[in-house]
Amino acid sequence: MARPLPIVILLLLAGIVAVWGATISLTNETPLDREEVVFWHFWSGSDGEVVNDVVRRFNASQSDYYVRAVSMPGNNFDMKLFLSITGGDPPDLINQDDPIVGDWAFRGAIYSMEEIASVEEVENMKDWLLPSARSLGEYDGRLYAVCNGLDIRALYFNRELVEEALGRSVPDELESIEQLDMIAELCTQYTDGELTQIGYLPDPRRLWAWGPVFGGDFYDEQNGQVTASDEAIISALQWMQGYRQRLGANAVATYRQNDQSLPNKMFPLLANRYAVILDGQWRVRDIEAAQKVSRTRGEPVTRYGVWPLPAESRQGKTGWVNGNVFLVPRHANNAQGAWEFIKFWTGLEGHEKDAAETCVAGGWIPVSKHVAESLEFQTYLSEHPLFARFVDFAATEQVPTPLVPGASRYYREVNNLVQRVMYDDEVVDLTAELNMLEQTMQKHIDRIRSHPSFAEEQADE
Amino acid sequence: MAAEARGIQRWSGWLFVSPWLLGLALLFVYPFVASLIWSFSEYDLLTSPRYIGTDHYERIASEIVQGKGFGKALWNTFYYAAVSIPLSTIMAICLAVMLNWQVRGQAIFRTLFYLPSMVPMVATSILWLWLLDPRDGMVNGLLSFFYEAPPLWFQGIQEGVSTSSPFQFGSKDGLTLMSLWGVGNFMLIYLAALGDIDGSLYQAAELDGAGSFQKFRHITLPMLSPIIFFNLILGIIQSVQAFTQVYLVSEGTGQPAESSLLISLQLFLAAFRDLEMGYASAIAWVLFVFLALMTWGLFRSSRNWVHYRGVRI
Repeated sequence: MARPLPIVILLLLAGIVAVWGATISLTNETPLDREEVVFWHFWSGSDGEVVNDVVRRFNASQSDYYVRAVSMPGNNFDMKLFLSITGGDPPDLINQDDPIVGDWAFRGAIYSMEEIASVEEVENMKDWLLPSARSLGEYDGRLYAVCNGLDIRALYFNRELVEEALGRSVPDELESIEQLDMIAELCTQYTDGELTQIGYLPDPRRLWAWGPVFGGDFYDEQNGQVTASDEAIISALQWMQGYRQRLGANAVATYRQNDQSLPNKMFPLLANRYAVILDGQWRVRDIEAAQKVSRTRGEPVTRYGVWPLPAESRQGKTGWVNGNVFLVPRHANNAQGAWEFIKFWTGLEGHEKDAAETCVAGGWIPVSKHVAESLEFQTYLSEHPLFARFVDFAATEQVPTPLVPGASRYYREVNNLVQRVMYDDEVVDLTAELNMLEQTMQKHIDRIRSHPSFAEEQADE
Repeated sequence: MAAEARGIQRWSGWLFVSPWLLGLALLFVYPFVASLIWSFSEYDLLTSPRYIGTDHYERIASEIVQGKGFGKALWNTFYYAAVSIPLSTIMAICLAVMLNWQVRGQAIFRTLFYLPSMVPMVATSILWLWLLDPRDGMVNGLLSFFYEAPPLWFQGIQEGVSTSSPFQFGSKDGLTLMSLWGVGNFMLIYLAALGDIDGSLYQAAELDGAGSFQKFRHITLPMLSPIIFFNLILGIIQSVQAFTQVYLVSEGTGQPAESSLLISLQLFLAAFRDLEMGYASAIAWVLFVFLALMTWGLFRSSRNWVHYRGVRI
């Protein structure tokens, strides 16, 4: 006796799966007359939509290449990439935001742009990029990564709180570290003996920013030496430690840890938990959203401003830069297609308007002054004056985490040490600790350098 | 003819188990042997492994002596295991005993206490990040009645169960508290074991005038000892393998100041962030030997305290 119901359900399910499969295959289909460029990135949500839009515009503008963007979770990204490279089937283009360029370049995991494009084109790209954007991709005299979006940090401040504490209008720029310390102290408040508002508190992860501002360097490129125990870096760390000594390790840990990652409305500056805070340009949107809510509700609108890091002994360095970069993995099938997409995204060769559109949609800082100066972007800046400050800062000399083999570990080890200094009441000998860190990292980098790279090994074969 | 049939039968047997054997060879034996070879090599996933002798093991030994890197991770893991395993054992047994009481709504209570174990680790971690927030968290809201400066939990480097900062709980204590949330699995096994204890043992003890505590001490605990032993071994392995929750609460770095850097995370960072596959393999092997020795030691000691049906083996 046949039982029709289960058979019908089974057929229905098979039909759904078939239609679904067909839809996927149709949406992912690369036109037959075009070469596919596989692009791995980790953007999702609203940023993912911006990326998809860039890809759509690029594909519409092209007759040779077709970019297929694949969004992947960030935590296993590196592992998947290396397995794909060793397996001989990597994507054609990837996006990264960790300080890995020097390391991957040395190991030969990525192509330099000189290997995939003409010398003239690469020179044009170098000229096109802002110095801070270029610094994120240059290693050993070659361009291994092309920055597609800059992250600049500056000091946001609550104008009402700072004005009230100073008893006068707020300066446009801070003159010195002492001035920042003074404002921090004036704005720090206790209620019934309990800390309720912080004037300013250095983020342990930002010795990378304060070290160079104090005049220090984390790496001597000419001699290939780690210089974590540079006197200026010790001074910067001592200055950070001073905040812990004044506020107490408990208060520092309670206030500081994780605050940076609190999203949107929870940004601690908006909750009046801080008067001054160091953060990136993406917070402008949070501030504007909060101001809009206040306006809608008919409440007083809190005014905010932004300062560059104060020039104590700047020596030309105004802060720390990082950002997103494009990389072309070694053995990519379509490196030329990837290069075309890189040029489109960054605005080179007549694509300024497209690049400006991308930056406006994402709230991203352009990597080229030509894009920043375009009419589309200037219109956007006139409506977002706080963001415009960050675009100005991007044009100053911002230094990246050193582009060296083993930089990921170097970055982590420095942050670990600063956290220990800031979160523990134990007295730490800063010079001794930085010296030890310097030796450990030098040994680590030398060990990586003592082995042939992937590119050298491939060449031998 | 019979011999031929036996031959066919034997080959059929091998054929049927071959998928499993293939899986064992590819997914277990090969990585097992390969990781041993890599532990004596410099290997970054991209280039061929290069033999460097015992360098990685020497590095591990020196890090243990200095208390840095692997040494720090080893201490953190030891602390986490030493605090969380006894606590979760005690809690699971207590819950199981209480849930074994014949009371109205027993099934509902059992379900309620088991439910947290079914919540995915990612959700649990995020939940506990909020609960243990030092400033706005619910737990510190309650503790503020007892503490002048409430614990920092995931944001602190303190160790609450140590002489250096007694009762000042930090990131590892937060992880411990989180592990107790998932005690339902152990509880369920204890509950099943409790139902297996012969009621006549309790009757005999009552006739001898034993009270509730004496019955628990001299009947329940010894009868549960094989399960305690089993859960102890499982607990040690789970502590050493704890990764998801550590990765989530420390943003994948073991922060603050490596205070939540457990061995599994240290291994992950070495392998997939620093591309030191050789060093990571050496860590895995040290861990393997360490676990094997611990398990062997536990088996040896079990002769003195584990009772199988009232008999020590």
